[in-house]
Amino acid sequence: MSLFLFVLKRVGRGLLTLWFAVTVTFLLLRLLPGDPALAVANPNMTRETRAALLTQYGLEESLPVQYVKYLWQLLQGNLGISFHQNTEVTTVLMERLPWTLLLAASSLLVTVVVGIPLGVLAASRRGGLWDRFVQIVAVTGQSLFVPSLGILLLYVFGLQLNWFPIGGAYTDGTYGGEWYLSVISHLVLPCLSLVFAQLGAYVLTMRSSLIDALGEDYVVLANANGLPARRVLWKHALRNALLPTTTLVGLQLGFVVGGAVLIETVYAYPGIGRGIYEAVTQLDFPVLQGAFLLLAVTVVAVNMITDIAYGILDPRVKAAS
Amino acid sequence: MTSRPRRTAAIAVTAAAVSIATFAACAPSAPTEGGGGGAAVTDATLTIATTTDVVNYNPFVGNSRSDYWITNLMYPHLLSIGPDGEKAPELAEKWGYVDDTTGYYEIRSGMKWSDGTPLTAKDVAYSLNAVKRDKPAGTLTGQLTNFESATAVSDTRVELKLSAPDSTVVPEVGFWGNVVPQHVFEPAGSVATFANDGKDGGWVSAGPYVLTEVQRGQSYTMERVDNYPLVDGGKPKAAKVVYRVYPDVNTEILGLKNGDVDVIANALPPAQVKGLQGTQGITVEEIPGLGYAHMTYNMNKPDLAKKEVRQALAYAVDYNAIRKVVLADQAVSTGSSPIMPVLKDYHDDSIKEYEFDPEKSKQLLTDAGYKTDGSLKFRLIYSLQDPVTTQWATLVKDGAAKAGVTIELQGLERNTYLAKTDAGDFDIYAGNFAIMDDPATNMALTYLPGGVINYSYVDDPELSSLIEQARVTFERDEQKPLLQKAAKVVRDNVYDNVMYTQNLYVAHRSDWSGFVVKPSELLSIVNPISVASATKSESQ
Repeated sequence: MSLFLFVLKRVGRGLLTLWFAVTVTFLLLRLLPGDPALAVANPNMTRETRAALLTQYGLEESLPVQYVKYLWQLLQGNLGISFHQNTEVTTVLMERLPWTLLLAASSLLVTVVVGIPLGVLAASRRGGLWDRFVQIVAVTGQSLFVPSLGILLLYVFGLQLNWFPIGGAYTDGTYGGEWYLSVISHLVLPCLSLVFAQLGAYVLTMRSSLIDALGEDYVVLANANGLPARRVLWKHALRNALLPTTTLVGLQLGFVVGGAVLIETVYAYPGIGRGIYEAVTQLDFPVLQGAFLLLAVTVVAVNMITDIAYGILDPRVKAAS
Repeated sequence: MTSRPRRTAAIAVTAAAVSIATFAACAPSAPTEGGGGGAAVTDATLTIATTTDVVNYNPFVGNSRSDYWITNLMYPHLLSIGPDGEKAPELAEKWGYVDDTTGYYEIRSGMKWSDGTPLTAKDVAYSLNAVKRDKPAGTLTGQLTNFESATAVSDTRVELKLSAPDSTVVPEVGFWGNVVPQHVFEPAGSVATFANDGKDGGWVSAGPYVLTEVQRGQSYTMERVDNYPLVDGGKPKAAKVVYRVYPDVNTEILGLKNGDVDVIANALPPAQVKGLQGTQGITVEEIPGLGYAHMTYNMNKPDLAKKEVRQALAYAVDYNAIRKVVLADQAVSTGSSPIMPVLKDYHDDSIKEYEFDPEKSKQLLTDAGYKTDGSLKFRLIYSLQDPVTTQWATLVKDGAAKAGVTIELQGLERNTYLAKTDAGDFDIYAGNFAIMDDPATNMALTYLPGGVINYSYVDDPELSSLIEQARVTFERDEQKPLLQKAAKVVRDNVYDNVMYTQNLYVAHRSDWSGFVVKPSELLSIVNPISVASATKSESQ
C-alpha cells in the first residue's frame, strides 16, 4: 500500500471517529433531564418566557432537524452561540484553551522527561532495589484517583507548607516577568498531580519494553563484541524500546485531557475543564458540544499523527494495514 | 531508527513550545498610573471571592450570583432595600403612583455614565420598555406582567403605564430592574440576546466601578468610577475591585485565611461560622435573610389534598432540632408564615409555628381514616447541591416515622430536581426561595392558581381573593391586614410549610471596614454602596 493511501485511510478513520463523537455528544446532551431554559429560569419566569427561550435556543424543533442543522453548522466551521453567554462558542473556548494547553503540555513534557529515564533505570537494574522502588512509585501513582491526589498536594504544599498558591492560574496585579513567575508557581501543583497520575504508565511501559529489547540477539551480540554496557543500553536497546512509549504519548493524551478537566476543577484553574463543569450545570449545549468536539479533535489528531508516524517508522504496520 | 528518541522528545517539546509561545502574548501589561493623589491605603484593591464565573454581562439576562454582584456595580437599580426590608432609594429618590394605573420614579439629577454621557430618565424608560418588548431570561421580565410602557416625562422623571391596577409594580420593578445605558444597548438590538461582553470598546458604568479586565475562571477586575454620588465624598474608596473565582466556599475560606482575598461574597456554610468568628484577623458579618426554606405538599395527590394529612405532616417535623442541629442556631422561625420577620411592618407575630407533636399527627391521621403503621408513603424530593436541605430532609423523614408515616427521600442532581419540580413529579417538595421581598408579589406567584412557583397547586378562592385584593390596594395600612390574613390561611391549611428563614453570614478580613450590609445574599456585603464604602485601615 502506498504511503498516500495509508495516510488517506487513517484520516478517513479519524473523521469517522469525530462524526461518531459529535453524534453521541449531541444525543447524550439531549437525554439529560431538565431543559436549558429551566436551568437558568427565575422563580418568576412565566411559561411563555421559557417557551420563547427554548425557541431562541432552537430546541423546539424536532431532534433530526436540530441534528442536521448542527452538522451543517459544523461543516461551515461554526460551533454556534452559547445559550447563556450569548457569545460565540469559539470565543468562549478560546478564552480557556491556552490554560488547558499549558497544563496538558507541561505535564506531558515532565512525564516523558522523568518517566523514560526512570523506566531505563528500573530495567537496567532489574530485580534490584531501584527497580522495586520505581515500580512501587509508578503503581501507586497509577492507582490514585486524580482529584484525590490533587487535594492531597493542595493540602500539603498549598495549605500546610504554603509553598505554592492554592488556586487560580496567576497572581492578580502582577505584570511582565513577575506574571510569568506567578504562572509557573500556580502551574506546579496541578502539573505535578497529572504527572504523578500518568508517570506509572510511562515507567512501566519503558521498563517492560527495554527488558524485552535487552534480551534480543543484537544486544547479546553487541555485548559479546565488547561494547560498553552504557552504550549498548542507551544507543542500541533503548532506541528499539522507545517505539511503544511513542505510541503511549498518543494513547495517554485522552487521559491527560480527562485528568486536566478534573484537576482544573480542584485547583480552580481557568481551563476548558472548569468551563465544561459550568456548562454542564447550566445545560449550555453549544458550549458542551464545542468543548467535547475540541477535545475529540485533539485526541483523534494526536492518535492519527502517532499512527501515521508509526506506519512510517515501522513498515510492518503499514503493510499489515 | 536513529531519530526515534529525538522524535518522542520533539513531540513533547513542540507541545510545550506551542503553549509557551501562546502565553508569550498573554502577559498583561502594567497599568498606567492614574487617579492618584490619595493616601496609599485608600487606593487599595479590594479582592472578593466568588464561586462562579459571570455567565452573562447583560443584567437583563444574567442569573448567577456573580452576574448580579458584578453587573450591580455598573448598572444601578432604581431602588434598594433597607435593613428593615423596606424599599430604599438608590437611583430613584422618590417613587409611587399618580393613580391606580400610573406609577412614577423621580431619579437623581447629575448622574453620568462612565463615558461622560448623562444618565437620564430616558435610560430608565428605555431599559423597562426594552425588557417588556424582548422578554430576556432575567428576573425583571417576570415583574412586568401588568406593566405596559414607560415614558420619560423629564430628564429626572419616568412614568409607568400599567395595564391593570397593581400596587406591586413600582416597588418590584424598581428593586429588581437595572438601568442600562441606552446609547450602548439600543444599537445592539434585542436586549434578550445582547451579550454586553465589552468586545466593542469595553463597558460603560453608572455604578461605583467599571469592569476593565476579564480572565474567565480566574478573575474580574473593576476600576473605580470617580463620580459616584451615592457614597460619602462622591467617590468610591477602593481604587480597584477584583473578583477572584474559587471552586467552592471551603477554598474561599482558605484564601481568606491566607490573605489572598479580603471578602467572601458567598454566604458561609453554617458549620464554618463559629470557627471563623474566633479567627484572628477575620470579621464575620450577619446578613438578615429575605428568603425561606420550606416544604410544599402536592395537592394534586389525593392524600395530600386533605388538610388533615398536611397538618399531620406539619406536626411531624421537629423544627427546633433542624434549626439547632443543621443550621447551628443561625435560622429563625417565621411562625410557619410565608412573610419573613425581617419585613417588620407585614410580619404577624400572632401566627405561631406548628409544634413537633407526633401523637397529634397520629390522631389527625386516624381521624382522617388512615393507619399509622407506615403504610402511608410519600416521596420527598430535594436538590443534592443544597447541603443544608440534604441534611434536614433526613430529620423530616425521622420525624414522620414517629408519626407512622413513611417518607422516601429522593435527592436529585439540580437539573433533574428542577425538571421534576416543574413537572409536579413529587409528593413533597423541599427547597428554598432566596428572596421574598414583597409579600403581595410573592404570594401571587406562590399561591394563586397558575402561579409559576405554586408548587402545592393550591387553588383556594378565599386565599386568591385576599391576594388579589392586596395587589390592587395601594395604601399600606389597608394592604397589611389582607396579607396577614392570607399568611394565616396559608399556615392554617398548610398550603406551604415554611420552616425557617436563615440568617446569612459573610466574612471579611478585619483590616477592611465600612461595609454597609443589606438583607439577602444578592445584596449582602457586596451591594454597590457597601463595596464603594469599604476602606482598608493603615494599622493592620
